[in-house]
Amino acid sequence: MARNTYKVDEKLEEPFDIKHLLRASGYIKKYIKRMLFAMTLSGIGGAFGYLAPMIIQKALDVAIPAANTTMLFQLVALLVLVYAISTLFATIRGRIMVDVSQNIIFDIRKDIFEHLQELPFQYYDDRPHGKILIRVVNYVNSVSDMLSNGLINIVLEGFNLLFIIGFMFAVDVQLALVVMCGVPFLAIFMNYIKNKQRKAWQAVSNKNSNLNAYLQENIVGARITQIFSREDENAEVFKELSDDCRKTWHTAVMYSNLVWPGIDTISVLVRAAIFLFGLVVFGQGNKSLGTIVAISSYASFFWQPIMNLGNIFNNFINNIAYLERIFETIDEPVEVKDAEDAITMPPIKGKVEFKHVDFAYDETKDILTDLSFTVEPGESVALVGPTGAGKSTIVNLISRFYNVNAGEVLIDDQDISKVTLHSLRSQMGIMMQDSFIFSGTIEDNIRYGKLDATKEEIIEASKTVCADEFISSMKDGYLTEVKERGSSLSEGQKQLISFARTLLSNPSILVLDEATSSIDVQTEHALQMGLNAMLKGRTSFIIAHRLSTIRNCDKIMYIDNGGIMECGSHEELMAKKGYYYRLYTAQKVS
Amino acid sequence: MDNQKFPKTKLAWLWENTKGGHVIYVFAMLGTILYNALQLTVPYFSGRIVDLFLTGPTARENLINQRDLFYRLIITMILMTLLRVVVMYFDCMAYENVSQLALYRIRNFLFQKIERQDMTFYSTYRTGDLMTRVTGDLDAVRHMLSWVIRVVIESFSLFFAAAIYFVVVDWKMALCILVISPFVFLIIRLFRDKVAPMHALLREKLAGMNTVAQENIAGNRVVKAFAREDYEMQKFQACNEEYRDTNKATAKVWIHYYPYVESFANLMPVVMLLAGGLFLIKGSLSMGEYVAISGLIWAIANPMRMMGNIMNEFQRFSAASRKVMEIYYSEPKIRNHEDAYTQHDRFQGKIEFKNVSFQYADGNLPVLHNISFTVEPGQTVAIMGETGCGKSTLIHLIPRFYEATEGEILIDGRNVEDYTLESLRKQIGMATQDVLLYSDSIEGNIAYGDSHIKLEEVVKFARYSEASEFIAKMPEGYDTIVGERGVGLSGGQKQRISLARALAVRPSILILDDTTSAVDMETEKKIQDSLNHLDFPCTKIIIAQRTSTTRTADKIIILKDGRIVEEGSHDELKEKGGYYSELLKLQTGDM
Repeated sequence: MARNTYKVDEKLEEPFDIKHLLRASGYIKKYIKRMLFAMTLSGIGGAFGYLAPMIIQKALDVAIPAANTTMLFQLVALLVLVYAISTLFATIRGRIMVDVSQNIIFDIRKDIFEHLQELPFQYYDDRPHGKILIRVVNYVNSVSDMLSNGLINIVLEGFNLLFIIGFMFAVDVQLALVVMCGVPFLAIFMNYIKNKQRKAWQAVSNKNSNLNAYLQENIVGARITQIFSREDENAEVFKELSDDCRKTWHTAVMYSNLVWPGIDTISVLVRAAIFLFGLVVFGQGNKSLGTIVAISSYASFFWQPIMNLGNIFNNFINNIAYLERIFETIDEPVEVKDAEDAITMPPIKGKVEFKHVDFAYDETKDILTDLSFTVEPGESVALVGPTGAGKSTIVNLISRFYNVNAGEVLIDDQDISKVTLHSLRSQMGIMMQDSFIFSGTIEDNIRYGKLDATKEEIIEASKTVCADEFISSMKDGYLTEVKERGSSLSEGQKQLISFARTLLSNPSILVLDEATSSIDVQTEHALQMGLNAMLKGRTSFIIAHRLSTIRNCDKIMYIDNGGIMECGSHEELMAKKGYYYRLYTAQKVS
Repeated sequence: MDNQKFPKTKLAWLWENTKGGHVIYVFAMLGTILYNALQLTVPYFSGRIVDLFLTGPTARENLINQRDLFYRLIITMILMTLLRVVVMYFDCMAYENVSQLALYRIRNFLFQKIERQDMTFYSTYRTGDLMTRVTGDLDAVRHMLSWVIRVVIESFSLFFAAAIYFVVVDWKMALCILVISPFVFLIIRLFRDKVAPMHALLREKLAGMNTVAQENIAGNRVVKAFAREDYEMQKFQACNEEYRDTNKATAKVWIHYYPYVESFANLMPVVMLLAGGLFLIKGSLSMGEYVAISGLIWAIANPMRMMGNIMNEFQRFSAASRKVMEIYYSEPKIRNHEDAYTQHDRFQGKIEFKNVSFQYADGNLPVLHNISFTVEPGQTVAIMGETGCGKSTLIHLIPRFYEATEGEILIDGRNVEDYTLESLRKQIGMATQDVLLYSDSIEGNIAYGDSHIKLEEVVKFARYSEASEFIAKMPEGYDTIVGERGVGLSGGQKQRISLARALAVRPSILILDDTTSAVDMETEKKIQDSLNHLDFPCTKIIIAQRTSTTRTADKIIILKDGRIVEEGSHDELKEKGGYYSELLKLQTGDM
């Protein structure tokens, strides 16, 4: 369960194999018709391209020696036509492929983002956010060309190659074999490079990911850096990460750049071999001049597609390092998901029941053991106890952010693991410790709780939580722009805004997890008044440390050691003189 | 908004940042010319082999009589190719080397710039936008150095070499072909005007998408709490779509111009055949001359074809570098004054606010009015007040995260603006409201302000902040990696680690901004005790909501709407019957 940090390279859980490639082809399927069309056009255009040298040859061999100007003009006109057609086809292909390749990026990005939405907190908790981000944004961009134009070119160049090989063998088997002799060398060379190259590009993606993670953390945490005057030290760390990127890049291009020269060298050796074998070894006169000329020109035709294929291959190897990361994310198992026969949660009345619930985040430590309790509709429950006792865990289980290990959680006597997550969570209002603010206006942030809320509803909710006053006093009021880091808002204000957001969603069950810790006591007091009216008829769970917040609840549960140590109303628990009593009196000691 | 003037032009800026690689880069550029020259000469040797030993009238005799020459030509052909290939390889590596050098330098420089910006900067730029500048935009800059410039040189050297060669061979023929190229340049110019704004738009869309994804990841808990996955997907899809469509539109600008450029490039062999053919028939051009020119027609036509690609990449560079340079040349408003004083020793710890007023530049609340108070060395001052009354703003003035609009803040009798930022902040320990931990071990997080402290000390500070107990209970103790923003820890746990982190720098001034709000009361009491018995002298300024925290403070300041409304000790204020005594009543209820 070790968490990943910017310092640690991500291990690849599953190395790349052909299966992934087949899978990548899934993204192409949708566009296969268009791609085939583009490919055909390209093929025809290419074939027309081959006509050009023949036309020129004809002009030089026939028209010009005969001083036949009419024929020359005709041939030139033909040449123009041929070029025009191949340009036209290339343009159409370009137009189609721009669409296809951009659509493929779009699809992959959509999939990876949608899958991310299903992943549990744990996934986000276990790795720096910059490492997730780089996959969604940067990696996806890299792979599209390979999946679109790359594939088409492979097919086209492959056909080219086959044709030329066929021609060569038709002309002369022996010399054709000489040409082909270069192929095994090429294969060995490419295979050697491939392995090195693949590792090298994986290293590049790892180091870039680390850098991105560190960068993101430091942008978000710039104020902390400044408070602790860590600028120089962080810059050193960043320099190191940056240097890692530079070094791995160097190694990677060192191999990648070898491919082209390697093929080039082998091709010139082959050409030399043709001359040698054709003219010398196979004996003078054995091979006709025409044969040697033909084979040597086919040889250069033969190596052109191989060079192109080499280039595409190169590209492939580089991008596979990204592709495997993308698939890794898309394949990340989703533990909490709708059961196959999940039903829609009917409107919640508010009865919540835990039956013999066991829960642990990992094997090492049980958080809850055999926990059972029942909360009646409309009751308000306060969870108290030492930090880390499992209070947040309990409320997280109610919204099924995690699956229980044993036992069941029921709402209105319905096992929540049998209903759809959306129907469950959309009826609950959960306010967490972190009050996250999205960049946008304050109004947008509140509206997040109910997307079709009117302005009146938003103001109404803000008034209930006493946020209206400070929002209205801002220059642009509800239309004030705030940023993700919400730097112009105090923590208390952020909490009030997220409170309004939660209220607006009109939840049947309300969960407040230290939701008001940064709000001053007086505001909280006023807020409580508004809330009380609102809370009537709704079941609520409140985690708080402030007695004034806790005391008014119908029921107080003292949580520790994986279970409920005490449960009852404020008066009952005070009379009992147990844990709660001690906690309560602690604040009063002066 | 993009018409911002920078001290240097983009290319001058780029050149400046390749310092240390200038010599290599010049050699690389020369190398490009060299390998292209070699590329032009190799066909000459294979041509001679064909002429002499294959197709020539005396080919058969030559092969028998001049075997040496035959072998020599073959070996020369191979060696020239090898030479070209080796030059090309090292040339490419040289470009990579210098481009990486520049990337490394600019990236590190940007990081430092970003780190040192003031709060105004951070409320202007979104995280995703900044990330785009340091990654995507910077990559376009790298690409400029590693690829675009090489291709420009390659194209031009091929073009000019071939052009000169043509003129030497036959100037009339050369003129016929070369007259086409200005048209290509004209089209490329039109293309540039259309594509430039697209690239600027494209990187905006990328930054927008980056921001939405970034915030979605950072806010994943809120998304789940509201079951807003579908909404988030729609939001992202919208960006994804816009980015895709802009990408398509950008690419299609080129596809629009491509047929014209391609046709003009194709016109070259056509003119070659037509004019060349006519000249041949007239007899003003020999077959040998014709073959010599037509064999190199690609060296003129291909650079024409590349022009579009080059211009496209150049515009991408241009749009991206503008964004990078904006950060590169940005200066924080809050920075060291020229004759700033460097504080080497600990502060005595006296803090004075003298008629301090403050207003946010964007006109947002809260504002502070005429704040004056004094804290003696070693004293503890508690600041209280309603949400949004200016408490946090006030304490942020001390380490100069913001500067007072009027009045002055003195530490040990010296205006905070007269200290160097670093030496000032080094003496201040601060734990803020929104606890931000790093994805690092707990030890690393506590030792953030002073990475040289030993584990025993880390443990000691954890004990001060009542964090040692829960840390010890974790399977990996102080080596436990906490997630980014400390996720995986409860609010109270995070706050205690952040408190330990602030204490670990042994500050002479400790500022706590509601640092124990999520800590249970028993623990909080213990923390208060430890804070009163630190093993180093320290002036404390504490923002708190609970009266249990403020009770023992030497002075309590109550703020309301940015003004001090009450000031005094617990006992004094209790009697006064104002905000504080009301608060006491509220909190202790029936007491």
